[in-house]
Amino acid sequence: MFANRKNTIAIGIVLMFGFVLLFVGTDGFSAYTMETARVNKLMKEHPVFPEVTLEDSKERTYPFSEFKGKYVFITFIYTGCSDVCPQLELNQAEVYKRIPQKYIGEEIVFLSISFDPTNDDPKVLNKYRTYFQSDGETWRMARIPDQTELDNLLNEFGVIVIPDENGNFQHNSAFYLVDPNGILIEVMDYQEIEEAAKSVTTILEREGSK
Amino acid sequence: MKQAKYGLVLYIFLMLPPVITFLESVMAIHMHMQMPLLLIVGMLLAPFFQKHFPQFFGTWNKNGVPGITLFMIIVIYWLMPRTMDEALTEPIVEVFKFISLPFLAGIPLRDSWSKLTGVSKNIIYVLLSMLFGLMAWLYIASPTQLCNNYLLIEQKALGWGFLLLAASIVIYFLSTIFIDESKYV
Repeated sequence: MFANRKNTIAIGIVLMFGFVLLFVGTDGFSAYTMETARVNKLMKEHPVFPEVTLEDSKERTYPFSEFKGKYVFITFIYTGCSDVCPQLELNQAEVYKRIPQKYIGEEIVFLSISFDPTNDDPKVLNKYRTYFQSDGETWRMARIPDQTELDNLLNEFGVIVIPDENGNFQHNSAFYLVDPNGILIEVMDYQEIEEAAKSVTTILEREGSK
Repeated sequence: MKQAKYGLVLYIFLMLPPVITFLESVMAIHMHMQMPLLLIVGMLLAPFFQKHFPQFFGTWNKNGVPGITLFMIIVIYWLMPRTMDEALTEPIVEVFKFISLPFLAGIPLRDSWSKLTGVSKNIIYVLLSMLFGLMAWLYIASPTQLCNNYLLIEQKALGWGFLLLAASIVIYFLSTIFIDESKYV
């Protein structure tokens, strides 16, 4: 009888342990993949966009703080990518089209950052941008020539880039929105164009009515 | 005690840094080789602990249910895409893997299995095959990368591995139902 009671207690302890383990392991049953956990963390912490030097498709070099005072809609890409990046950029183009024209370039700038600085020089980027009707001005494509700065940025934003055997990269993709003070305020699903365009427009309208 | 020695040797072997690096470099090997081997380490070590702490196993795991529940919890925990990712990036999760799989899954499994009734065993067969089938579907059908550290193609390979595992359990389970082993002794 006594032994059986211990057995029952043991089941209780095990179940409690299991609950705590799974609760902690999934941030309270909210994140089952590291990607969700990463996005949740970014949305909670709102990190400041690190100061990096960009070199864009027009061979202009400037620090990220050039965009101070404007929202920046960011994606991370590399031009040699054949699967997810074209999709990501096409979707970015769709979002670009859906934002009211009056805000474009004034309140918000679009930016595609390449994480393959060796391949993606200004010339390559200049060609690549035409595929997506990026004007190179209100939607810029740029590389970060300094590898340390690049690594630091990817690390800060939790962008994991894995090179595969064919010289390609795989990486986790998303839309990032940085506010006029350089703070990351939104990480959006790159497959939900309408939703992303809507939330960006709402933010811009709110800003405009201030 | 020979088994415990083999278990210890296997455990130490699995902890060698080059072995860790190799086993974790491929997603399917990480999930379907390294993790089961750690489980086997625990199963090999089980007799040692049962001999030294018979009282503990006898009272706290009398009917085998607490042990098998613990085993299932640990298995479910390590099936999540996130935990496998975190094992690669966060040292504490990696350490937990090397402790939890042998000691919280392997040992309880071996200690519990013989104590379980036929019905309980059947429930575990069904649960495990359903769980692995679900994982197969998840990893094969998911259009997005579930683990940030592994490629999409590896994810699919892992999914097919799960399907094989689920199928094997189903086949074994059916054989225990339809084949009367006592006839062949």
